[in-house]
Amino acid sequence: VTHSGGLAYDRYSCHGHEEWLMRIGAADAPPILFLPPLFEEMNRARALLAATMRRLAARGFGCWLPDLPGTGESERALEACDWAHWTNAAAAAAERVADASGRRPALASLRGGCLLDAEPPSPCRWRFAPVAGAALVRDLERAALAGGGELAGYPVPAPMLEALRLAEPEAAAALRTVRLATDPAEADHKLAGPALWRRSEPGNSFELADAIALDIEIWVRQCDAS
Amino acid sequence: VPLTDEGEVDLTLRAVLVDVLGLPEARVAAFDPTTPLFGALPEFDSMAVAGLLTELEERLGILIEDHEVDADMLETYGSLLSFARAKALR
Repeated sequence: VTHSGGLAYDRYSCHGHEEWLMRIGAADAPPILFLPPLFEEMNRARALLAATMRRLAARGFGCWLPDLPGTGESERALEACDWAHWTNAAAAAAERVADASGRRPALASLRGGCLLDAEPPSPCRWRFAPVAGAALVRDLERAALAGGGELAGYPVPAPMLEALRLAEPEAAAALRTVRLATDPAEADHKLAGPALWRRSEPGNSFELADAIALDIEIWVRQCDAS
Repeated sequence: VPLTDEGEVDLTLRAVLVDVLGLPEARVAAFDPTTPLFGALPEFDSMAVAGLLTELEERLGILIEDHEVDADMLETYGSLLSFARAKALR
């Protein structure tokens, strides 16, 4: 475990492998587990996610972010993963956070991460711009056609791709869904800001990170109170 | 939720162009039906087209088949808007 400026790296165990779990904020603070966007969308949204986590850490939360098996610094190859690895990873990371902090984490999911938040037991779920798995598969296939290489450089095994195609955000209790103001789909709340996961150049929006962090904080405190 | 309003399709298309191409909102707000897009904007490359189609599918609740996408449909803001309206409002 390394420490530097409030940033720490922990591990969680999933299907016999140790995977990375990044933390910003205190280990024993009220925990929020972030479930990241999938594939290229994660790279584009990484700075937004980190900025959001820093803001919530400054308000007294412990913010945790797993590398899913086969992504980031994972020592497992994506080719060797299936969809159950990812849903189980969310549950395993939540278990690890519960052990470390002494309570079950709230779940804050972005985009494709919202497909992974049903399994871990949690008192509170918050989703931003949830997307159906079929749309992510179409995007991978389309990016490949546009010259991004096979599946846009993400060697997703066929069984995983088929499971992803069928995955939908699941109904859940204590759930708040938030979308961009420019997204006509239904939501509990809408926030102004750019769809950073769609940009070809990585970017950030501190205004959007402020708004997301505030909305998560209010919702998590509301879950705690009820 | 199906859209029923032409103005809403217009606003959604402009928002998607801002998001996908990273252009200033004011610039995209000034697009008129004759504003040239594909081939005229350096940001509008083939990867951006892929992102644009996917994001339009998501926000308008439509499906766009590969054979429906061609240079005419992407040529101007007006041609793209006509396509999006025909898809979203039928």
